[in-house]
Amino acid sequence: MLNERAFKAVGKPLPRKEDLRLVTGKGRFTDDFNMPGQVWASMVRSPYPHARIVAIDVADALGMPGVLGVYTGVDCARDGLQPIPHNPVPSTNFDMKLTGPGGTKVFIGSHMLLPADKARHVGEAVAMVVADTRDQAQAAAEAVAVEYEELPWVADTLAAAEPDAPRLWDELPDNVLVDSSFGDAVATDAAFARAPHVVTMTAHIGRVTGAPLEPRAALGSYDAETGRYTLYAGSGGAVRQKREMAEVLNEPPENLRVISFDVGGNFGTRNRAYVEFGLVLWASKKLGRPVKFRAERSESFLTDYQGRDLVTEVSLAIDRDGKFLAMRASNLSNVGSRCASLSPLSKGAGLITGSYDIPVATLRARAVYSCTMPTQAYRSSGRPEVTFAIERLVDKAARELGFDRLELRRRNMVRPEQMPYVNAVGSTYDSGEYEANMDKLLALADWQGIEARRADAKARGKLLGVGFANYVESSIGTPKERADVIVRPDGVEVVIGTQPAGQGHETSFAQVTADLLGVPFDNVTITLGDTDVVSAGGGTHSGRSMRHASTVLALASVEIIEKGCALAAHCLGVERDAIQFDEGVFRVADRNTSLSWFDLAGRADDKSLPESLRGGLKVRCDSEMHTPVFPNGACCCEIEVDPETGGLEITRYSTVDDVGRCINPLIVHGQTHGGIAQGVGQALWEQCYIDPGSGQPTNGSFMDYGMPRFDNMPSFKTQIVEVLSPTNPFGVKAGGEGGTTPAPAVIMSAMEDALSEFGPMDIEMPATGLKIWSAIQQGRARLAASKTA
Amino acid sequence: MHSLRYLRPANVEEAVRIFNENEDASFLSGGHTLLPTLKLGLARPAALVDLTGIKSLRHITVGGDVLSIGAATCHADVASSDIVRRHIPALAGLAGSIGDRHVRNRGTIGGSVANNDPAADYPAAVLGLGATVVTDRRGLVADDFFTGLYETALESGEIVTRIDFPIPQIASYAKFRSAASRYSVAAVFISHGQSGVRVAVTGAGTNGVFRAKDLEQALSDDFRPEALADLHIDPASMSSDNVGTPEYRASLVMVMARRAMAHPGTTQSYK
Ligand SMILES: Cc1cc2nc3c(=O)[nH]c(=O)nc-3n(C[C@H](O)[C@H](O)[C@H](O)COP(=O)(O)OP(=O)(O)OC[C@H]3O[C@@H](n4cnc5c(N)ncnc54)[C@H](O)[C@@H]3O)c2cc1C
Repeated sequence: MLNERAFKAVGKPLPRKEDLRLVTGKGRFTDDFNMPGQVWASMVRSPYPHARIVAIDVADALGMPGVLGVYTGVDCARDGLQPIPHNPVPSTNFDMKLTGPGGTKVFIGSHMLLPADKARHVGEAVAMVVADTRDQAQAAAEAVAVEYEELPWVADTLAAAEPDAPRLWDELPDNVLVDSSFGDAVATDAAFARAPHVVTMTAHIGRVTGAPLEPRAALGSYDAETGRYTLYAGSGGAVRQKREMAEVLNEPPENLRVISFDVGGNFGTRNRAYVEFGLVLWASKKLGRPVKFRAERSESFLTDYQGRDLVTEVSLAIDRDGKFLAMRASNLSNVGSRCASLSPLSKGAGLITGSYDIPVATLRARAVYSCTMPTQAYRSSGRPEVTFAIERLVDKAARELGFDRLELRRRNMVRPEQMPYVNAVGSTYDSGEYEANMDKLLALADWQGIEARRADAKARGKLLGVGFANYVESSIGTPKERADVIVRPDGVEVVIGTQPAGQGHETSFAQVTADLLGVPFDNVTITLGDTDVVSAGGGTHSGRSMRHASTVLALASVEIIEKGCALAAHCLGVERDAIQFDEGVFRVADRNTSLSWFDLAGRADDKSLPESLRGGLKVRCDSEMHTPVFPNGACCCEIEVDPETGGLEITRYSTVDDVGRCINPLIVHGQTHGGIAQGVGQALWEQCYIDPGSGQPTNGSFMDYGMPRFDNMPSFKTQIVEVLSPTNPFGVKAGGEGGTTPAPAVIMSAMEDALSEFGPMDIEMPATGLKIWSAIQQGRARLAASKTA
Repeated sequence: MHSLRYLRPANVEEAVRIFNENEDASFLSGGHTLLPTLKLGLARPAALVDLTGIKSLRHITVGGDVLSIGAATCHADVASSDIVRRHIPALAGLAGSIGDRHVRNRGTIGGSVANNDPAADYPAAVLGLGATVVTDRRGLVADDFFTGLYETALESGEIVTRIDFPIPQIASYAKFRSAASRYSVAAVFISHGQSGVRVAVTGAGTNGVFRAKDLEQALSDDFRPEALADLHIDPASMSSDNVGTPEYRASLVMVMARRAMAHPGTTQSYK
């Protein structure tokens, strides 16, 4: 269907259209918007992980300068506000179907804007103060007197799943909201019973936060004349926020307009609605003034949706030749105090067998509530967790059973001729050449030179460690997307419902449109982020945007080309069939007449046109695509550990990523680089630590939450592989998240290699200097003890 | 933030006068500690007396065998100063190892020393070189100046005007940085000069910067890295947090001390 030879823009590393705007301070972020008469909201937040709200005395706060109102959960309930409809259970045809215990419906604890009963995590907003200025609102928030009755609490993932753990929701007998099983348990048990080797591993993939550069913010205003609300709030998709906020406010969706232009970082944190979004809208109606909220950095650390937090227990049954016979997994996801998303658990569930052909497998997938900030799909939702599990388990199997770690992988990889391949839990991998990825990577990473580099490091007193990981991930995401394509005399406009936060949609979507219509790239503009213009759309998450956008644009281009042909036929006075469209030009065969898109657009509003051709040269097209794709690749890194300090340097990092068709390699490489840094961050520095004695989160700023930084990263070698997916017109899979997916596994694999002389490694991420140093001390002590024994 | 008066005196006398005239006044230098404290509501002064407009507090000079640095001199100026590089290169290196570019262009030596953060770098140099902290009313030798965590011998309204560093024969500094804050988890400044060998440790002690007397003794006898081989630091004197246990810090202090000795005349920064 696509004429690849006509591609002039697709596949080219074109510089991003949005960069000039963004680097010259012309971005339009939420906090850049202010309205006349605007006032400010500040939140009163719970200092306790779990506490009943006995009473809230607002009298003192109300008497403070500038204060316009103080609102509590009781007020929300009185006004009939609805809980945020997070709709957390993934529900496309291809998502793993999660249920409550015994196949019941998953119990979703209601997420009111402000709770009236109790606070369920430190930092939960229990009241809102609105005042003339931000300072006044913050000062008055400190004067709101909340009487709490402290309750027993639980924050730890495994502890929260215990039957006698302190309970968050009266509606549940314990904290377990999901308990589902997948795969063939009987066949798996039988294979394990027969297997000569069984290798088992347990790991906790810790809790992290997105730390976007732009703290979250919201500006709400209500227009009493039209009865419409407007919300400025950066997000991963304004259409979703509009629908959800309309429900919260009991309003029909058309009474809400949500605007989200530039977004200063998302990583998943902004893909679910925040209570403050609803609160500023609600307050703006009550007060008749626009109400604005902007989180402090410390508030972002405390109350941005967080990520990961999964305990996984996996085992592999292996035969004498190293062939994998069966796999068992048990995954436990900590969703926090509310269930905002089960995407990580569900996504991971479909990928437990990774890149390997494992005939049978079974998985128990559970989720628990705990007295912590809710978790959400975080960059590469669910995949780094299960990649960590399978890849670290394969490393362990190789070590314990005496196989070469690459050879053991080769023996078990899914082969190209098995594609499409249905894995043991039912996911259908669309395409890919997994072993070829590995070969490309080993060349890129100079695997041959490792031992020489190891010796060199040793001479400098350093321990070189080499990590390796394969990965396969899935891109599913919201199945529907809509595009309006409008051709005007001066250019083409595309209106679409995705929401970039740095992914460069304005560039890559324009490349696709330019080639589909045969117009210059510079003549295409992309419009995003205002729900009065963008009527529908699935937002940006799960690596869905490029694939869904290119698909709906391909459909739209067929329609608009047909429209153009009809119009051209009319203008040139010939039959429709006499018109040929090629590379942006409509011509009549054998005649020296032709019309360009822009010529045609100039005539499209002509009053004299027949009815059927009127209304401008534009189409609106909807597509619905459920079929997932499976980006895949391989990754290698080298680290040098300083055994005296536990410090380390990443010296090399190479990846091969099969992203399907790569629309813009410059953007894909950039996304991969960022993705790598984010995955490495979790492995080495990042952690939302909760003090086990008090339940208090201890990371409130960048002083104590370690971010990946440029001087901690080597120059990456990233290679793009394009095995086109048969599931969509352009053959797109997804890019960027592939940088994150194998990163925690590959870093810990390198760590284990570096520390191999000290015996089995037991380090939980993030692998800080302290932990590495301690592991070395323990290893030395063990070695010394075994020598004397 | 509550409202406050911002005052910018032109000389030290005026600064003292303004400070005394305003109740609850606080001196402001680079503001890189004080402003975050104000934003978090941890301090609520009624007036800020900005010292960075006072010319006499910004200088780097050498007289005899003393290097003087004005209190309002920012880290970047110390790091790039030819005078400092020539006479005490480890001190220039130390200044260049603080925080990031923004911090180095705002934060000042006087502010750092007056603040005495237990993980800050300058206190190690001041104590490790046996410097004198000169104020508007007296000179305080380093051993008397740092009195505990965030505590100094400064009295209310007393202004640090400059730091006088005796120029050593050789000095070096080695630090191990926290991955998040980039402050030192443990750092050691060693000098060999007019008053013998001095070893100052920052980032690690329960009571802030301190002199490691055992190390000084060993190096006085034999000023070579090998002299430190069999020495240990008592973990009981080390602080503890998520970044480092007392045992880890005690070990890091010895590692940093040996590395400082192995790289004389430099600052080494490890992560
Ligand atoms: C992101 C960040 C990273 C940092 N990293 C490091 C690091 O790695 N290593 C390190 O050592 N430091 C670090 N710092 C601290 C910084 O280097 C400054 O040294 C420190 O903030 C104090 O200096 P200042 O000039 O900013 O003082 P201010 O914040 O202005 O003042 C600090 C205190 O000293 C008082 N004061 C200031 N000047 C005088 C004076 N002349 N006389 C009397 N009292 C005075 C003030 O009243 C105040 O109480 C970092 C700071 C930041 C924000």
